[in-house]
Amino acid sequence: MMRLALAMALKDVRLTLFRSAGLVQALLLGLLLVFMFSLSQKAGERVSAQTAATIFWLASSFCQVLVFNAVYAYEETAGQRLGLLLAPAPTAAVWLGKAMAGFVLVFLSQLVFLPATAVFLAQEPSHCLAEGLAMLVLADTGLAALGSLLGALAQGQAARESLLSLLVFPLLVPLLLSAISVFAAVFGDAAPDGVASWLGFAGAFDAIFLGAGLLLFRFIYTGEE
Amino acid sequence: MRVSRFPWTPALLAAGAGLLAASQWLVFAYAPVEEVMGPIQKIFYIHLPLAWWGLVSFFVVFVCSIACLAKKDPAYDRTARAAAEIGVLFTTLCLATGMIWGRRAWGVWWTWDPRLSTALVMWFVYVAYLILESLGTSPERRRLVRSTVGIVAFLDVPLVFLSARMWRSIHPAVFASESGGLEPEMKLAAIFCTLAMGVFWLGLLLFRKTQLDQALHIDRLLFRLEERGEKQ
Repeated sequence: MMRLALAMALKDVRLTLFRSAGLVQALLLGLLLVFMFSLSQKAGERVSAQTAATIFWLASSFCQVLVFNAVYAYEETAGQRLGLLLAPAPTAAVWLGKAMAGFVLVFLSQLVFLPATAVFLAQEPSHCLAEGLAMLVLADTGLAALGSLLGALAQGQAARESLLSLLVFPLLVPLLLSAISVFAAVFGDAAPDGVASWLGFAGAFDAIFLGAGLLLFRFIYTGEE
Repeated sequence: MRVSRFPWTPALLAAGAGLLAASQWLVFAYAPVEEVMGPIQKIFYIHLPLAWWGLVSFFVVFVCSIACLAKKDPAYDRTARAAAEIGVLFTTLCLATGMIWGRRAWGVWWTWDPRLSTALVMWFVYVAYLILESLGTSPERRRLVRSTVGIVAFLDVPLVFLSARMWRSIHPAVFASESGGLEPEMKLAAIFCTLAMGVFWLGLLLFRKTQLDQALHIDRLLFRLEERGEKQ
């Protein structure tokens, strides 16, 4: 299972980085979001740390939707879904491979969004760095687990981006709340109760949706059109 | 195909409506007026049952979605759909009554509160669940997709509640409160209203499930008629 998952993740990352405009689109959308939100402030006014964290994670969420649409579209447009299903590995390996690819691509996008947030929204990500990094990994894992499961579900639809956004965003609310709380602290907001509880919460979210993805993926990724 | 027949559905609906009407006597004549909030607090007796039965509807969607995937019986999917429709209706009404109450009680239409946020997030998710019906795919594929979303959506409910509670809360604790809480008369009225709404909810669920069964049955009959027409 891991061999197929790794091979698929590598293939999707390579295709997205070198052969398609999928990541560029996601990056541009995220950057546009950060820039447009900066317009909501009056001249000389500083965006609060919590607002900046919210904008950063919203940009990441939109990026996630586009990334998972792109990685699932490769097999769909080439008519190769059946080929994947016939591979001698559990169907869940496809989910895991796509999730790993999505994780890498969203993480790479965030390497651009983070400096953009610092520049356009005048933030200094210099506090609680270890916790911030841990949250980045945990939140990206949750985005990948849920994005990979629901990305498969929206395939074959004319308006798959809007359908995926409609399903994913409400489900992501708890994860985004925890990520925003920790990143507000990273950008300098006081965190009187600490950020450890939010890290634990994000871990629980990941565990639930990794389990759900592993169990449910085989029901929605079938040969049926 | 099984077309469900629940002969006691009209009786359940009538009994539910009768009990709901009777509960208004308890609300306005028996339960005292709340000291701080005044008469606007009476909205609570409709708001609470709507919230509870909305949540129960979503739990029914979750259970039926699991059953649909496990047993591959489309009847469970139709029950889940019926429950989701009623859940969305009840949650919409719950949000509307909550906002009216919140405006008078807290001075704001909306606040980031665990219960409010959970209700709103559930509303968004289950509206999306209902939109899945319009997917341009086969009924079998739609059934699988809906069942998966029905399971994932309910898994998210406790997470939304917990995260919103960690974020901030000003919602009153009603039954769980150790200090304060409800007067005995208020509690009795609230319990009666909730049970009355439960009877009405069950009647609605069975009624809608029967409608969905019959719609499918009619579709199949029409299909057969068309097939016969083509042969002749």
